[in-house]
Amino acid sequence: MVTKRNLLAAALIAPLLLLVLVSFIVPLGATLYRAVEDAEIPTILPQTTALLKQWDGEALPSEQVYRSLITELRDAQEQQKAGPVLNRLNFEETGLRSMLLQGLRASGRFAGSTKEGLIALNPRWGDPQFWGLVKRSTGPWTPLYFLRSVDLKLGPDGAVVPTAEEEAVFIKLFLRTFEISLTVTLICAVLAYPIAYTLSILPQVWTNIGIMLVLIPFWTSILVRTTAWFIILQREGPINALLISLHLVDQPVTMIFTRFAVYLAMVHVLLPFAILPLYSVMKGIKPDYMRAAASLGAPGWRRFLRIYLPLSMPGVAAGAMMVFMLSVGFYITPALVGGSGDQMISYFIAFFTNTSVNWGIAAALAALLMGMTGVLVAIAWLLVPGFRAGGVRV
Amino acid sequence: MKSKFFVSAMTSLLLACALPSLASARDLMVVGFGGGFQDNARKHLFQGYATEKGVKVIDDVYNGEMAKLYSMVKSGDITFDVIMVEAPEMVRACEDGVLEKLDWTLINKDKFIPGGASTCGAGAVGWGVSLFYDQARTPQGPANYADLWNVQKFPGKRSLRSGAKMTMEIALMADGVPMADVYKVLATPDGQKRAFAKLDELKPHIVWWKSGAQPLQLVGSGEVAYAVGYVGRTIKATEGGAKYPVQWNTLLFSFDYWTVVRNSPNKAEAMKLVNYMTDEKPLMNLAQDWAVSPATAAVANNPEVVKKNPGMVASHAREGLFISTDFWVENGADLEAKFNAWVAK
Repeated sequence: MVTKRNLLAAALIAPLLLLVLVSFIVPLGATLYRAVEDAEIPTILPQTTALLKQWDGEALPSEQVYRSLITELRDAQEQQKAGPVLNRLNFEETGLRSMLLQGLRASGRFAGSTKEGLIALNPRWGDPQFWGLVKRSTGPWTPLYFLRSVDLKLGPDGAVVPTAEEEAVFIKLFLRTFEISLTVTLICAVLAYPIAYTLSILPQVWTNIGIMLVLIPFWTSILVRTTAWFIILQREGPINALLISLHLVDQPVTMIFTRFAVYLAMVHVLLPFAILPLYSVMKGIKPDYMRAAASLGAPGWRRFLRIYLPLSMPGVAAGAMMVFMLSVGFYITPALVGGSGDQMISYFIAFFTNTSVNWGIAAALAALLMGMTGVLVAIAWLLVPGFRAGGVRV
Repeated sequence: MKSKFFVSAMTSLLLACALPSLASARDLMVVGFGGGFQDNARKHLFQGYATEKGVKVIDDVYNGEMAKLYSMVKSGDITFDVIMVEAPEMVRACEDGVLEKLDWTLINKDKFIPGGASTCGAGAVGWGVSLFYDQARTPQGPANYADLWNVQKFPGKRSLRSGAKMTMEIALMADGVPMADVYKVLATPDGQKRAFAKLDELKPHIVWWKSGAQPLQLVGSGEVAYAVGYVGRTIKATEGGAKYPVQWNTLLFSFDYWTVVRNSPNKAEAMKLVNYMTDEKPLMNLAQDWAVSPATAAVANNPEVVKKNPGMVASHAREGLFISTDFWVENGADLEAKFNAWVAK
């Protein structure tokens, strides 16, 4: 039933819906789309694409196909559009870029058939497998980027095979990302619990001071806090100076550019996200329950295990989920204080986005990261008490 | 009520979308790699042009990531006009159509040293990297790349640029490949394996840097003992009192290019600015303040400039390795991805 009230509610939600749509759903969809889109060759070489669609894939294509590829590629080059095609094919197999450019340069000199001229130039032009690669890249969709994101690729015959060992890195990086994130989550939960408990039972004035101590670093930029750790941990920094002046060590201890530094800085940055939801849940736990349990003769540990812990579980769950989701995407902190072996998957997403400008693989990695994080959170939802029982309260 | 709301929401949304295009009549924007060069270029090149032509020129800094340029051209919201780009990136971006072909009727093509005029790029300045260390801490450090790999004789961390370009060449030279053969070896799969195997040896001792200021900070703070860093910045630090002698036998060098962003609303003005910035007069003024190594022949070969700036990379071309543009255009994407996979392991 449409009432005036409903309309009013809809109008009030509309700005938020619009914002979510414009700033979240649309970019997310575009990213997913980019991970499977294969539009370079069909757009830039339309005639060759059409011809290859008819090709049986076994015998060598006809002279017409060779000529079409060279002509369209030359036109594209003149209009500065050849790059995406060359990059797309070179991503499929390194070396194709130079082979195509070499063929393009030489093609002006061919007296007779383009096909024979190209094959004489480089026998690879006469390999049906090469044409198979081109045909495979004529879109409109490709599984290539997703396969590459899990260290797989399409072999020459179209079967899925593992990538070369020196390029196989993504599975390892995903595992490392989740290992670091879970460790940080665990440390944050363990550290936050007693802090939040203390804050919840202190007299009001001390609670306020304590909350401020949690909030002030929380309001400070991540970059500033990470850089501070860099200064503190460095070789000639205050910690090493102290250790040496106390004669605890002879040589400076290497702390910066290690996994230890990554954990330290990440826990420091993320701890407030664990403390605040825990505090708000603990504040809401009535002391009556504990008193009731005590009056029934339960010892302290039992009161904690049977009453307090289950009641505070929603806070643990909410805090842990926030910390976990944020650490999965961490980029700046490991890049600044970690070594090369401590970088997480977002480092690579940034590399492919910014430096290598290969947005297909960047989008596939990002989509996989999102999917895997979603699965992990869903598992936690099902298995960890507190997620469902109390509902996640943030 | 609802419709009224929607009308106003839609209007403001449309306005927000229209704003960038309203702002298109903007100042000429030059983007470079920053550092001392840009500070001096601002004074002599950017503002020199601004004063002469009565237009406003502003500048900004980037780290060589091309993504911003690509998304700018794709979205049509162009905020850069002239951008300084490394040679292989210039060639690739030109093929990809994110740079304008230079208009040689507005830019004098004959003033450059050989290779200084390309389809989309006008030779700007030469740059190089070399091995350096702090003599105040280490009086006698590694003298070449083979020494840099000798961690027994020269203990301490080393800092190299995070990326395949230059690092692969350095690894091969450390493995005894003569400078003249570096790219021949690196072009083969075995040569690439050899470079990575050599890098494996040094990996635990390497701290990777990303921006040009880092190697100086790392050496200056004692975090690393030796680094490979930009020659211009090292010389500047030496002039500021540090003892970081440049070892010219470890030089790797190349040229950066001035380019014009595709579909720039200030295209003609941008071309004229490129022409001005590669002219003899403003570059001679710049050479008074900064050890610039321009691709403009009249300045690069001017005996006074050469004498005044012993740090010009062009003067040391014979001691060093020219970073092959062709090689990196061809192999860049592949080797950089392999390098990143190797680093992350």
